[in-house]
Amino acid sequence: MTEHVTQPSGVILASFPERNGRPSVVYRNAGDSFLLVEFGEMVFDLTMSFRVLGLDDAIKHNRPAGLIETIPALRSILINYDCRQISVRDLIDFVEDQYEHLPPFENLVVPSRIVELPIAFDDKWTREAIARYVQYQRADAPNVIDGTNSKYAAMYNGLRDEEEFFSYIMATDWWNAALGFFPGLPFAYPLDPRYAVVLPKYNPTRHWTPAGTVGIAGPCLAIYPVESAGGYQIFGHTVPIYDPLQRNPAFRESPVLLRPGDRLRFRPRVTDEELEALIQAVYDGTYQYVIDETATFDVGAYLRFLKEVEPEAEAFRRRQAEAAARVPVP
Amino acid sequence: MLEVRNGGFETTVQDYPGRIGMLSLGFAPAGPMDDYAFRFANVLVGNPPGTAGLEITAGGLVIAFEDERAIAVCGADMGARLNGQPLELWRSYLVRAGDILEFDYLQGPGFRTYLAVSGGIDVPPVLGSRATYLPGAIGGFEGRKLQAGDRLPLGEPLTDPAQAAGRRVPASLIPSYPGYNEVWEVEATRGPQADPDYMTAEDMAFFFSHHWKLDAASNRTGYRLDIHKWQWARESGGAGGGHPSNILDNGYPVGAVNVCGDQPIILCIDGPTLGGFICNAVVAKAAMWKLGQMVPGWSYIRFKEVTLEEAITLLKQQDETIHESNLERS
Repeated sequence: MTEHVTQPSGVILASFPERNGRPSVVYRNAGDSFLLVEFGEMVFDLTMSFRVLGLDDAIKHNRPAGLIETIPALRSILINYDCRQISVRDLIDFVEDQYEHLPPFENLVVPSRIVELPIAFDDKWTREAIARYVQYQRADAPNVIDGTNSKYAAMYNGLRDEEEFFSYIMATDWWNAALGFFPGLPFAYPLDPRYAVVLPKYNPTRHWTPAGTVGIAGPCLAIYPVESAGGYQIFGHTVPIYDPLQRNPAFRESPVLLRPGDRLRFRPRVTDEELEALIQAVYDGTYQYVIDETATFDVGAYLRFLKEVEPEAEAFRRRQAEAAARVPVP
Repeated sequence: MLEVRNGGFETTVQDYPGRIGMLSLGFAPAGPMDDYAFRFANVLVGNPPGTAGLEITAGGLVIAFEDERAIAVCGADMGARLNGQPLELWRSYLVRAGDILEFDYLQGPGFRTYLAVSGGIDVPPVLGSRATYLPGAIGGFEGRKLQAGDRLPLGEPLTDPAQAAGRRVPASLIPSYPGYNEVWEVEATRGPQADPDYMTAEDMAFFFSHHWKLDAASNRTGYRLDIHKWQWARESGGAGGGHPSNILDNGYPVGAVNVCGDQPIILCIDGPTLGGFICNAVVAKAAMWKLGQMVPGWSYIRFKEVTLEEAITLLKQQDETIHESNLERS
């Protein structure tokens, strides 16, 4: 067992440096029922998701008694365990062992469905949520311009206007690294770094967001599956991704539409009225979700693609950083 | 069957520990906010402690029984009456067909009370649990709070109701709830994003000494506390977003204190499972019940720091306390 590096505050229970090309790992105290395992640095690196989902799979297949479940995210796995059945030390040793034996991920071809979702931008539902926020929570929020977050989003990323911002959302596929927050909510990251917009979060968070709202915070895109509070900048609306009454064939197996490892693709762009009709058709059971069930994702090919577009991606990141420095944070 | 004559302010079917193992799909566990009172109510009527019962928030419930059952009411005093006669809390009674149980509204400290019925509430389990998860509109009775006219199926009692009736929880094991405007002491460990990496040591010292006011806009998903200007250990959230409370999204422990911008929010049992704000503390599992009896808009909270080992000890002690062998014959 490698040496544990801990902190006086007791927050870091163990940490290990990068080994043989494997990112560093930190084990953080998360109370008596949870352990947070964090990989690498806090940088946006989508390839970390492939490792995380690989390790998550290994943990699931070899789970020791007392390990209840894992909650994978982009660069971390939160483990829910029963402290009456397994000690946090034994849990750390178990995860370390799985991590040590993780096969190289560069040659992976993983199943990854492509899910197409229609989208309306700066729609009436989004405007309503923002109007309520301004009226009841924060009138001087710098992220609200003309009753939307999209103008702010464009400014923050150095884009011409909200239309260019919308075109970026549609230009890339979004990798669903995790589900959570509320049932079936995707945490999706842009696969094409040339269109990887970044946004700060609300401050304070919104009390109300309608189901179907599309938003972004950090580099992450989310779709709100149920009416809920929220912290993301919001700019669009799509069809239901969660239906507890399972009224559409797409929900026959589970009330949750999406899965980790899915790729989301926003198309076509629709009007509020068109979207309203589509939502109705979902509940009628007549809407057919466009899902390529058999698609796969070639990690090696993706890594080559990243290399190819890196100069353009770097140019966009510079433009973003310059713009963000001039724009106030909420 | 149990017939609901009046659903009251918010009454839901819950079981314990709720919907476990679904965090990675975004389903919070749900279950009773005060699992101490809930489990004891079940033990009193001869049920396994996790059996489905009713969580009555603030009061107003009126129900009619249709057969012989043992019942117990544990938690906040809502002036419960059985056929017009006052009912003692933390004690089991025998009810017969035609008996009416009525709850007024809160008579003193506390916010929720629990009704256990021998045999339990036998609604169909959804994704492994009978607990009502309101944000996802699933579980319990049609995924919603109860209303007049609902008829709840009951299970087969494991013990003779007449035998289970007439028992009480000894006074020494009945918690006394702090009154309105008084301070609850809640045991918590440091969370994954405390000091020194995310907050300063001074931030954490303030956190563990301040008397936090529980905001009126609090419910089973989250308990909002006062706005505070934190020092923060970082200038910004880096790749997670502009504000230093931002991180790349990760899983949230149930009971975590989630600092969203300036505002700390305790993530309760219906809370978000994943997100992009830091968690600087996690409420000890054995202290989660206290949240259930706090009054939004009135109660104050002081977090008492405990180590992981202390939190585990508290949990084991609690499990031993909530046991049939500790009951008295009345």
